Amino acid sequence: MLMTMFYLIVLFMVNLLLFMLGLVIYKRSYKDREKNSPFECGFDPSICTRSPFSMRFFLLAVIFLIFDVEIIMLMPLTMNIMNSNTHWPLTSSMIFLIILLMGLFHEWNQGSLNWMK
Amino acid sequence: MIIELLSGIISFICALVAVAFFTLLERKGLGYFQIRKGPNKVGLMGLPQPMADAVKLFSKELIKPTLINIFPFLICPFMSLFLSLLLWLLYNNYFVCSMGGLSLLLFLCISSLSVYSVMGAGWFSNSKYALLGSVRAVAQSISYEVSMSLILMSCLILSGSINLSVIMNYQLFIWIVFVNFFMLIMWFVSCVAETHRAPFDFAEGESELVSGFNIEYGGIGFAVLFMAEYSSILFMSVLVVSLFFGGLLYISFYGMLFYLMIGFVSFLFIWVRASYPRYRYDLLMYLIWKSYLPSVLSILMFLVMLVYFLNI
Amino acid sequence: MTLSTITIFSVGRSAQRVLSHSLRAASVVPGSQATHRRSLWKDVSPPEPSMKWSDITDRAARTAFWGEMFTGLAMVFGHLLKEPATINYPFEKGPLSPRFRGEHALRRYPSGEERCIACKLCEAICPAQAITIEAEPRADGSRRTTRYDIDMTKCIYCGFCQEACPVDAIVEGPNFEFSTETREELLYNKEKLLTNGDKWEPEIAANLQAEKKFLFFFSKKFSSIF
Repeated sequence: MLMTMFYLIVLFMVNLLLFMLGLVIYKRSYKDREKNSPFECGFDPSICTRSPFSMRFFLLAVIFLIFDVEIIMLMPLTMNIMNSNTHWPLTSSMIFLIILLMGLFHEWNQGSLNWMK
Repeated sequence: MIIELLSGIISFICALVAVAFFTLLERKGLGYFQIRKGPNKVGLMGLPQPMADAVKLFSKELIKPTLINIFPFLICPFMSLFLSLLLWLLYNNYFVCSMGGLSLLLFLCISSLSVYSVMGAGWFSNSKYALLGSVRAVAQSISYEVSMSLILMSCLILSGSINLSVIMNYQLFIWIVFVNFFMLIMWFVSCVAETHRAPFDFAEGESELVSGFNIEYGGIGFAVLFMAEYSSILFMSVLVVSLFFGGLLYISFYGMLFYLMIGFVSFLFIWVRASYPRYRYDLLMYLIWKSYLPSVLSILMFLVMLVYFLNI
Repeated sequence: MTLSTITIFSVGRSAQRVLSHSLRAASVVPGSQATHRRSLWKDVSPPEPSMKWSDITDRAARTAFWGEMFTGLAMVFGHLLKEPATINYPFEKGPLSPRFRGEHALRRYPSGEERCIACKLCEAICPAQAITIEAEPRADGSRRTTRYDIDMTKCIYCGFCQEACPVDAIVEGPNFEFSTETREELLYNKEKLLTNGDKWEPEIAANLQAEKKFLFFFSKKFSSIF
């Protein structure tokens, strides 16, 4: 634990050093209104850059959330399956995986995985 | 403890140097793949080229567009580098004391966190292209993270441990790849997608998004994002070799083979980039959700039964 | 599939014709004696996959083991082993045609007398109007230029001046490395052009000789045209 903290601190220092280096040696040049505007193919940037985007991405994030939670719940299985004498890890994990797979097929069937339309 | 700390620091520095020379390998490799020579003017055969690149990138202008949120904008690349260098804690090596215990769980945590730096880099740039690029990158990363974790779990189930060095030692007599070949293929594809490399480089599809989420970055910000990306590529190739082609590092033959295989896998990233055209975004999503995820789950069920009934 | 295409492509034809055309189209050869242009269609859509079990298994295996992917990788690796097409430019240069149109030069006779007789044909023909010539009779009565300027920033290197010149005075030499740091240096005057001519005379003469041979051959071969 202490070791990891040390690593983290060293890594943080390395990053800070790079940051300082970058801030110290970068080339200064003139400030210009056009130059400092966001890149948008030579046009003036449209006003609202943080506009809402496709619903698909949000839906995807929700599906991801489900699966990620399931992965976390599956994680202890990896060590239990070998080290146990009962059939419980096997049975429960099979039921869990089958539910997961059926859930995926259900989402597929309902069309929430379709990227277009 | 001092020695352990020093070995950690040296492994970070070596990772950074490896990143530098990996960029050179990529430029040279892509050059020769396209029947040209790549950088060959600086020094001896262009070998010090990455150093010159670093000096150039660091000393270029750090442009700060007017609409950005300056503080998070500057922090995001460093967060990205921090996370991808932190992964090298898990680097399992004869010389470096790796993090034991739940090392692959740590890998999952860190690789999930690195999504935030990409998202922040796009969001705080406050530019249309950057935002679109980051949204795409995030969607791609989180989708492939699901399949990656499940494939990782297949290796964990086979070896019965969550510690990377134990998984490697487990493969002393036979590599996991012989049991798990399709998982290796899917893992490699997921790695390519996770690190936003061609043919899945939708985060910076230069024909439509110019440069994606790093479009507003210049100078040190861009350099650091670049280093983070390449560092994660190298770590992914380390992980491919450790998970599927593991062995005892104390055996000197395997010790050499380990590094050769890491080099080959990282070269494979370049090779793949040179070979295939860019995929299509909806097909990418179908590939993970409709093809890889069901097959990974099915193979996982098979492996659970295999491990339980054969008691391997 | 085929039936529907036949129907589409042969609207308004008799059944006899339809059948013969579709048969011909099935084995279509470019330039066959098809009387109707519309019957020259060719089905370019990918063929329907065979649904025999052996073929299905073959396809599945090829996909699962990345058959096409590995083929692509191997092909690209073949390119890695090829000799690079790069030449180290400042040290090695690619071949140049004798008719290459590079930097201009004004030539002299072997006696040292300049060839240009100030006929101003080049000035007249120059499409970019880059050439400016002023001429006066000299003390010995011969007509020579007093000013011969070429604006190299205007020049489009078409080579018409060389074609127009009756005495082979203005030529475009083989030199293509004459970039300068300022625009003013690209406004060539007579001294500069004559110096160029003196500097590049051996190459220019050899090139003109080669071109003369070519033109001789060309005029023999296509004498009916001229």
